[in-house]
Amino acid sequence: MPLRHPARTRRLLATTAGIVALGLFVAGCTATGSDKPVGEPISGGTLTYASGDAEPSCLDPHVGGNFPQALISAQYLESLVSRDTDGQIIPWLAESWTASEDGLTWDFTLRDDVTFTDGTVFDAAAVQANVAHVQDPTTLSSTGYLALGKVTGTEAVSPTVVRFTLSAPDSALLESLSQPWLAIESPTALERSQDENCAAPVGTGPFIVESWVKQNAITLVRNDDYVSPPADAGHSGPAYLDKVIWRFIPDSASRYAAVQSGEVDVIDNAQPDTIVQAKQSDSLEHLDSPRPGASNRIELNSGRAPFNDVRVREAFMRSANVDDAVSSLFLGTATRSYSALSSVEATAVSNAALFDYDPAAAAKLLDAAGWSETDADGYRVKDGVRLTVEFPVSTNQSIPAEQSVFEQIQATAKETGFDVKLRPLDLSSWYAALAANDYDAVSAPYTKVGPDVLRILYHSASIVPAPSGYFANLAQVNDPAIDELLTTAARATDPAARASLYSDAQNRILEGFYILPLYDQQNHYLLRSDVVGLRTLPTVAVPTLYDAWLNR
Amino acid sequence: MAEPVGPRGATLRVVLRVLGRLAARLGGAVFVLWAVASVTFFAVRLIPGDPAQAVLGGPGSQASPEALAAVSSEYGFDQPVIVQYLTQLGRLSTGDLGRSYALNMDVGPLVLSQLGSTVLLAVLALTLAWLLALALATWSTRGGTIAFRVGSSLEIVAAALPHFWLATSLIVVFSIWLGVLPPISTSGVAGLVLPVLTLAVPLAGFLGQIMRESLQVALESPFVLSARARGESERGVRWVHALRHASLPAISLSGWAFGSLISGAVVVETIFARPGLGRTLLNAVTLRDVPVVIGVVMIVAVTYILMTLLTDAASRLVDPRLRLL
Repeated sequence: MPLRHPARTRRLLATTAGIVALGLFVAGCTATGSDKPVGEPISGGTLTYASGDAEPSCLDPHVGGNFPQALISAQYLESLVSRDTDGQIIPWLAESWTASEDGLTWDFTLRDDVTFTDGTVFDAAAVQANVAHVQDPTTLSSTGYLALGKVTGTEAVSPTVVRFTLSAPDSALLESLSQPWLAIESPTALERSQDENCAAPVGTGPFIVESWVKQNAITLVRNDDYVSPPADAGHSGPAYLDKVIWRFIPDSASRYAAVQSGEVDVIDNAQPDTIVQAKQSDSLEHLDSPRPGASNRIELNSGRAPFNDVRVREAFMRSANVDDAVSSLFLGTATRSYSALSSVEATAVSNAALFDYDPAAAAKLLDAAGWSETDADGYRVKDGVRLTVEFPVSTNQSIPAEQSVFEQIQATAKETGFDVKLRPLDLSSWYAALAANDYDAVSAPYTKVGPDVLRILYHSASIVPAPSGYFANLAQVNDPAIDELLTTAARATDPAARASLYSDAQNRILEGFYILPLYDQQNHYLLRSDVVGLRTLPTVAVPTLYDAWLNR
Repeated sequence: MAEPVGPRGATLRVVLRVLGRLAARLGGAVFVLWAVASVTFFAVRLIPGDPAQAVLGGPGSQASPEALAAVSSEYGFDQPVIVQYLTQLGRLSTGDLGRSYALNMDVGPLVLSQLGSTVLLAVLALTLAWLLALALATWSTRGGTIAFRVGSSLEIVAAALPHFWLATSLIVVFSIWLGVLPPISTSGVAGLVLPVLTLAVPLAGFLGQIMRESLQVALESPFVLSARARGESERGVRWVHALRHASLPAISLSGWAFGSLISGAVVVETIFARPGLGRTLLNAVTLRDVPVVIGVVMIVAVTYILMTLLTDAASRLVDPRLRLL
């Protein structure tokens, strides 16, 4: 059965489709785009969105809390605050906020003109009910639960003022609250059974969940009473679109064919080959919106040999020709990163000099680290053991182009004497391999708003596995100096001091050669040219269809 | 010499024989279902991956200790695997397919809601495959050497086409190039054309090869010669005598083919974004959603058993020799 190698199949598929479609393009067979000039926004019409992400099992992002849920729920749920493109926190359902001197008490003043789409009034009690819902173990919240880790209680000071009490100062609180996983839902609706709430959560957003036919489509309709766009929205009042059909098309080539033929209007998870084709087409537009939080990077397991030796870690990075691999395999659609953080994070520190491709230096480092002998196959050996790098690859999370980059790294690192063993695994097996500490290198995406993601990924406390076996510090960075910097930064109330602490922490992480940054977490959308006004929320880079309209 | 038997005794014997055959069939079916459920259970549980994660929002969940503990005891993940297996089996024996770990719904209604779409796809593909195979086989055996060569080459090529390749090529030609058919499933009939073609063409190649071979054998058989000698028309010889004979192996293979169509549906439903059992199965395996995997596989097994019974009946209908047994 061809499905035994889904990645290979998908890559083959993508390549086949790419070659054939490119041929057709050269032959001059492109669809014609809309040539209607863009004037005043037109209300009405149905937009079809096709997602390549998995279909959520629950439309309430409090439950679990993953990216597919964030994508869809941003259309019908709203958060207390948002973030603008400069990284500043801006008002949304909360008009303003103040923190006490010690940073342990936060008062949020709420908008007083907002009602949920079931008629329930949005007020302080509603916010309290949402915090309680996320923190209730039976909700099975994961992402939202972690983000509220320091919140010990809430209090309704007045109907429009809600107070958060914290166990310790949390410089990431606003960034956490801006995330869709902590969006505010109708307390009346939350009282329903979880099955009912998962099927149709009720929020204050520009659209309302009308129906959900599993494995087929979710239908959203306009909220005609909508009043509460975030401060950076393009207009006010209800959305332009009457209706949104949200579909799931897992196969990249079919998804592209669907937007190319006009069957759908917007697709996400566009792959490099289709982005290149779309750029040559008049009828398609490309929207590149890197996700916040961590960059995509290869983390080296410093908790066991051979990468417990910093010289071997540096040698690996010097031996890998990443630049050439990225530019050729991503066809120019991804920019090489030299940072632990996404380029959308204002606090990101970049240091390209640390990651020069230099096989001669790599060889010297290996000699110095005692890996001086070479076996018959050309791999370095120490005490009879080959220099092996176990590299489990998640075929669900690493797109085909990324898997090819890993293969290129494998090939160039081999010249220096590393035996990189790439192991493509499905998501569950991949997490199981990590939980068993059975890896030397791994690439795991992590999306979170703000630099606090550094604490989650590189604080030694994150080496301790959760009961599920999951732990976030996959590089197993265990450096008291880094711990200190990250803990202090998480409590810092002064923004400048906070930025400086995160900058120091990043430098120490980069200089310790724990991670090999590749590029931002890729997040490309393709849309029909007659879809106007679509943008992504600068929080977690999910599209919002609120300002979007159809120029047809 | 046997005693002469009265008509009553003969009827009783026939009834007993039929009942015995039915009982054997039923026992066989129950055995197959048990084996399918057991193999599936252990196959999914023995590959790495924790089913509790499916409940907690997917692999890599960072659920709280309380949440994990609650889920483990609610779903019995803290029990030994053998106990979980027996519990699962006990539930299945009462016809209860259980509840999906990941989808917040009962497996029975979930699988039934997806069954129609896949069965429709498979039935249409099987029908189209038969029509294509018949057309090709008859044309290639009567059209002379060139037709024969062309026909047999076409069949070999068609039979060897992988579903994912064919699907992508059809999308490129009919959706992007010609723009006449949607590349993904839509509510109308148009959305069915490409998925059905994708499944039917390789199967048609396979059935066609078998039909043509047996058609050739049949056409050279003495009974065709005698039919010709009786002065029957060429059409009569071909359609009534030879084809009836030639279709037998293809009929008995159709039961198997139906099963293979359902597995082909995994690929086709994913590429064309169609709802159905194949896609449900793929998602469930990824998430280690054991009850859904077992539920889908059981339903496929039941369909398979039913199809085998149907093809048996069809063979009896076409071949009078079998009716005596």
